[in-house]
Amino acid sequence: MSQKYNPITWRTKMKKTSQICQSKLPDNTALKQQQLPAYRLQLSATGVLSGFFATGAFCLGVGIILILSAKSIKEIEIKYTKICANCAELREDAINFDKECTCSIPFYLSETMQGNVYLYYKLYGFYQNLYRYILSRSNSQLVGTDLKVRLYLIWYNTPFFKDQSHNGTPIAPCGAIANSIFNDTIILSYNLNSSIHMEVPMLRSGITWWTDKYVKFRNPSAINLSSAFTGTAKPPYWSKPVYELDLEDTENNGFLNDDFIVWMRTAAFPTFKKLYRRLNRVQYFIEGLPAGNYSFNITYNFPVTRFKGEKSVVLSTLTWSGGSSLFLGLAYTVTGSSLPGRNYRLSNNC
Amino acid sequence: MFRRSFNRFCAGEEKRVGTRTVFVGNHPVSETEAYIAQRFCDNRIVSSKYTLWNFLPKNLFEQFRRIANFYFLIIFLVQVTVDTPTSPVTSGLPLFFVITVTAIKQGYEDWLRHRADNEVNKSTVYIIENAKRVRKESEKIKVGDVVEVQADETFPCDLILLSSCTSDGTCYVTTASLDGESNCKTHYAVRDTIALCTAESIDTLRAAIECEQPQPDLYKSLGPENLLLKGATLKNTKKIYGVAVYTGMETKMALNYQGKSQKRSAVEKSINAFLIVYLFILLAKAAVCTTLKYVWQSTPYNDEPWYNQKTQKERETLKVLKMFTDFLSFMVLFNFIIPVSMYVTVEMQKFLGSFFISWDKDFYDEEINEGALVNTSDLNEELGQVDYIFTDKTGTLTENSMEFIECCIDGHKYKGVAPETDGLSQTDGPLTYFDKADKNREELFLRALCLCHTVEVKTSDAVDGPPESAELTYMSSSPDEIALVKGAKKYGFTFVGIRNGHMRVENQRKEIEVYELLHTLNFDSVRRRMSVIVKTQAGDILLFCKGADSAVFPRVQNHEIELTKAHVERNAMDGYRTLCVAFKEISPDDYERINRQLIEAKMALQDREEKMEKVFDDIETNMNLIGATAVEDKLQDQAAETIEALHAAGLKVWVLTGDKMETAKSTCYACRLFQTSTELLELTTKTIEESERKEDRLHELLIEYRKKLLHDFPKSTRSLKKAWTEHQEYGLIIDGSTLSLILNSSQDSSSNNYKSIFLQICMKCTAVLCCRMAPLQKAQIVRMVKNLKGSPITLSIGDGANDVSMILESHVGIGIKGKEGRQAARNSDYAVPKFKHLKKLLLAHGHLYYVRIAHLVQYFFYKNLCFILPQFLYQFFCGFSQQPLYDAAYLTMYNICFTSLPILAYSLLEQHINIDTLASDPRLYMKISDNAMLQLGPFLYWTFLAAFEGTVFFFGTYFLFQTSSLEENAKVYGNWTFGTIVFTVLVFTVTLKLALDTRFWTWINHFVIWGSLAFYVFFSFFWGGIIWPFLKQQRMYFVFAQMLSSVSTWLAIVLLIFISLFPEILLIVLKNVRRRSARRNLSCKRASDSLSARPSVRPLLLRTFSDESNIL
Repeated sequence: MSQKYNPITWRTKMKKTSQICQSKLPDNTALKQQQLPAYRLQLSATGVLSGFFATGAFCLGVGIILILSAKSIKEIEIKYTKICANCAELREDAINFDKECTCSIPFYLSETMQGNVYLYYKLYGFYQNLYRYILSRSNSQLVGTDLKVRLYLIWYNTPFFKDQSHNGTPIAPCGAIANSIFNDTIILSYNLNSSIHMEVPMLRSGITWWTDKYVKFRNPSAINLSSAFTGTAKPPYWSKPVYELDLEDTENNGFLNDDFIVWMRTAAFPTFKKLYRRLNRVQYFIEGLPAGNYSFNITYNFPVTRFKGEKSVVLSTLTWSGGSSLFLGLAYTVTGSSLPGRNYRLSNNC
Repeated sequence: MFRRSFNRFCAGEEKRVGTRTVFVGNHPVSETEAYIAQRFCDNRIVSSKYTLWNFLPKNLFEQFRRIANFYFLIIFLVQVTVDTPTSPVTSGLPLFFVITVTAIKQGYEDWLRHRADNEVNKSTVYIIENAKRVRKESEKIKVGDVVEVQADETFPCDLILLSSCTSDGTCYVTTASLDGESNCKTHYAVRDTIALCTAESIDTLRAAIECEQPQPDLYKSLGPENLLLKGATLKNTKKIYGVAVYTGMETKMALNYQGKSQKRSAVEKSINAFLIVYLFILLAKAAVCTTLKYVWQSTPYNDEPWYNQKTQKERETLKVLKMFTDFLSFMVLFNFIIPVSMYVTVEMQKFLGSFFISWDKDFYDEEINEGALVNTSDLNEELGQVDYIFTDKTGTLTENSMEFIECCIDGHKYKGVAPETDGLSQTDGPLTYFDKADKNREELFLRALCLCHTVEVKTSDAVDGPPESAELTYMSSSPDEIALVKGAKKYGFTFVGIRNGHMRVENQRKEIEVYELLHTLNFDSVRRRMSVIVKTQAGDILLFCKGADSAVFPRVQNHEIELTKAHVERNAMDGYRTLCVAFKEISPDDYERINRQLIEAKMALQDREEKMEKVFDDIETNMNLIGATAVEDKLQDQAAETIEALHAAGLKVWVLTGDKMETAKSTCYACRLFQTSTELLELTTKTIEESERKEDRLHELLIEYRKKLLHDFPKSTRSLKKAWTEHQEYGLIIDGSTLSLILNSSQDSSSNNYKSIFLQICMKCTAVLCCRMAPLQKAQIVRMVKNLKGSPITLSIGDGANDVSMILESHVGIGIKGKEGRQAARNSDYAVPKFKHLKKLLLAHGHLYYVRIAHLVQYFFYKNLCFILPQFLYQFFCGFSQQPLYDAAYLTMYNICFTSLPILAYSLLEQHINIDTLASDPRLYMKISDNAMLQLGPFLYWTFLAAFEGTVFFFGTYFLFQTSSLEENAKVYGNWTFGTIVFTVLVFTVTLKLALDTRFWTWINHFVIWGSLAFYVFFSFFWGGIIWPFLKQQRMYFVFAQMLSSVSTWLAIVLLIFISLFPEILLIVLKNVRRRSARRNLSCKRASDSLSARPSVRPLLLRTFSDESNIL
């Protein structure tokens, strides 16, 4: 930008004309003369080396702690697509959507899972992060304000917004995400001995982010839920309308259903786990899951073979740092141990 | 001489066929001859670029010719037309802002130009039409009009002087605005029309003028003694009549004026190059993604899984069209790799940064009460890249104020001392005698000084008082003469003026002596002397002659030459301009003969020049040497130190001057451009004698010089800069006519050959002096050097209007706010009060600006590659569906808010080396020469760093996400949390990377660096803390807060930042330690040397302890 810069400031202009001979002398301020007081970084070899050493020691320490705590975690993953091959085959074809298919997977827990135990389902090859898929939802509908998704009708004529078969009744909850909700039912039962099979008590609440459950998702206000959703249709792939998701617990029904909310938080990668249930630590399970024979009873609804995907159930305990992943611990350990190595090389250089 | 040059130019320029015939007053010459109206352009000067109508389209066109603007326009259009993952606002708004600001700026500038044009075009002039004086606007003048010009007015177009109101038909003109020479020049009216002094009589004139078609060469054509050029000013003459021959854009001034073209700095070119590289990266990324997308989609379950069905419309779209839109979408998704904000930041940096120049109090000059002036901020960094400096001499290297320093009479030295201090030792005159010459000789010498000149006296308008007592103002075509006359005045002899052909001199005794001026033998550059013949009151006829030593010594008969000669030589070595003074008495008989010869020669129609020369030659013989004078064109303060510093910084300094070779040479010695050890190579009219075989001789010389230079220098030009100190230094002197011989000698290939040899010679010389240059030739030289291999960066510095073309031509033009008006300063990019300021301007400011902007550019590309690479990698995990990794707010804010201020502060304040150190150590300048920080090496380093960091960000977080949960309460994170973690690591890493690079931590740096990190955190909380009613998707709701509630995330963020910065930290530490250890080794060695020299007295324990600490 070419311009003529006049070094006169307005303040000097205000001065009387007798001062004019001084007026063009640039101000002698530190900023204008580029003489601001400044700190110059001075590295000393000792300082750097001790800094490296301290950082290295810290990293090493954290790394070892992380690894140890990750090692203490018990985790079981059971892929059940192949085990329930006949169900999978049935679900290949959408025509069989109303045929029920269950499948039981027995397994043996050799060690007690101490503490809180969580039940996840894990999907392989399911792209919850597709651009159009992520867009395919209406937040205003999910907070109950714009149930008929008027806002969206203009732009998104994508499937799952309007029910094609019922002359365009708006769908609630609309969009591809909601439509493709994971709808297998997984029940864990504990085989205390060969005759006593007891269902492991699981909590279906408290598995969502607090803010999701209490702010982002709201049911439309009405006397009861079913009347609130009148004038909307259920998503095409759903077997029951949204207000029948959990008839036992009104706090877990409609848009507030925990499983629904968990599903609606789209996963970052095509292979992902989602929290399904957490262990209710009562009776036998006060300490966690005791060792012994268990079985998963799965109502197989969710088709994955169509996109060459897989499903699995995961039982896991957690520690302060979360789930069992050695990555963070290893990364810290490697970084920490490589720093003293550098130290050595540096000191050689000197 | 004028005539000859005119003739030569008429004869020699076969190329310029065609002359124009101008009918004076637009009257046909005779009734019989048909009046053919020729079409000439009108007298309008147009320097503006736009009109009201074409401003918008033309300006937009010009702006979108900029590669970056065009690119952003394309991106914006794509975003508008194609359904893309990011909103068009993200790129449209910044683009609109940039375009509008630039358009307003350029519009304003053009409006100023319009105003200036109008001022010239609408100024009133008087034209003689039908014997009446008609008032007109300047732009209405047509070729052939007779124009009346009053004193102190500028000529509205190129005129042929018809008559002036003086009896002899002369007028005085200063051409300061054309060639920078502020002195008065005498022009003569056409002899036949001298008498036509009134409007009526002029109107009766019927004549036609045949003249050349317009051409720009000022130097050649300033000659014709009756051509008055547009832009020159009439002085000391009441009024003149002239006929317009060239008008408007065809005047010499307009032809010599070069449009102020947009200058682009080398850094900007580098930016464009980087831009293209990044554009290719972008296109490659988009192409790769598109290809892979379709490869991936070739399996149907990937193309359309049951959970993500396509709409009817999508299914029906043509595949090719879909691919194309996908490609465009990917481009838009990755377009942040080339950010608009970089251009905004660069502009801001330049704009704000340039204030430091005008703020610098070191550039403040008390004399003119002004500091530096910045006319453009586009070229700040170019100041740090200069390879060649072209400097004017007069007024730039020198003060342009001649001062009489000393004289020598009969070999006795007299040094002028101010009269007051001298009062006690002398009574009869303010002279300090080292040893005294004969009193008569002294007076004779001083009278010679008073008489032998062509100085005019202008008495300041004191009408009442006697003219002698009034303040005398001397005017002359040569400032030396004024200095001499003033010098004589100091010694008591005052030249009072000429009255009726009688020169009046007031002597030491306050008596007026009157001499009749019989003849003036004018100065010319071949004889290099001038003489006057005067008649004293006593009736003696005397000839006084002064001239260059080489021109006078052979013509005197004294035996005391030796003393004076030694004197003159010593003075010349000191850089003074020396002249020798001689006289001779002429007997009346001889005078008769001389007088006759002179008049004869003057009247001669053919070969007048030669005849005159011969007569002069005859007359100026057998003279008596009286003495010599030394006049100093005072060098500017610290000019020599500045030139030395510039040399040390590896810059090549060329002096381009309109001045004579001798004076220029002495100045060059004085300002240490040439050292005494420098071997001079001369390519001047003197070395190439005026002969038929001029070109052959030139060729010989060129070849010879080249051989000499090639022999001395190693082949590679790289080592040249360093080699300077070790090898014999060479300097080259060339003058204007030789230069034009080289540049446009003959049409055949040999001229190219000349040019290349000449350039080879030039490149090997440490210093080049070009004298007798016309303004346009200066520009020609600059252009020639500019186009050298490797296109070096040129800088021109000058003070006069004659330097304007060179200032405009070079990459950086610097004006000196000197005495010769303000044209140079106005047309320059930067203007400083003195030459010495160039040192700090280049070495400190230029260096810093370059480092700052280079770092800014690299950093910008780096941080955006870091930014976009994870987004690119993410495409491999989301089925190439163009899912953005980051939230739209982050995409938009990243460059605007989170990372822009720290780099801006850095690029304004950074001093990687202290500013004083930079100014005092010129060698540091070499470190950044050849655009060192923006070469391929550093660029690759930054790119790889960015790629490394981007990969670390993405895969670090990716592996982190492999676990079941990052929280102890088993809740899972989605894709937005993933993006936010990557983004957080990214923002912290790039900001801390800048912090690592910062060497100069002022409170501002602290504030913006920590401030923008804090702002990022604050913004993220804020952005995620509220359900925004205008957003359809509340993606970011509580994502950031939830993310920070996990210990693992904290640990991962810290670790990833550290790993990303680790190579950089290691590099810094290694560099620092190595430098320190090198320094310590050196000092250790020195210490041990000194230790071993003297007996060791230290206790053993102490020694081992300190040795050990050394090892640490």
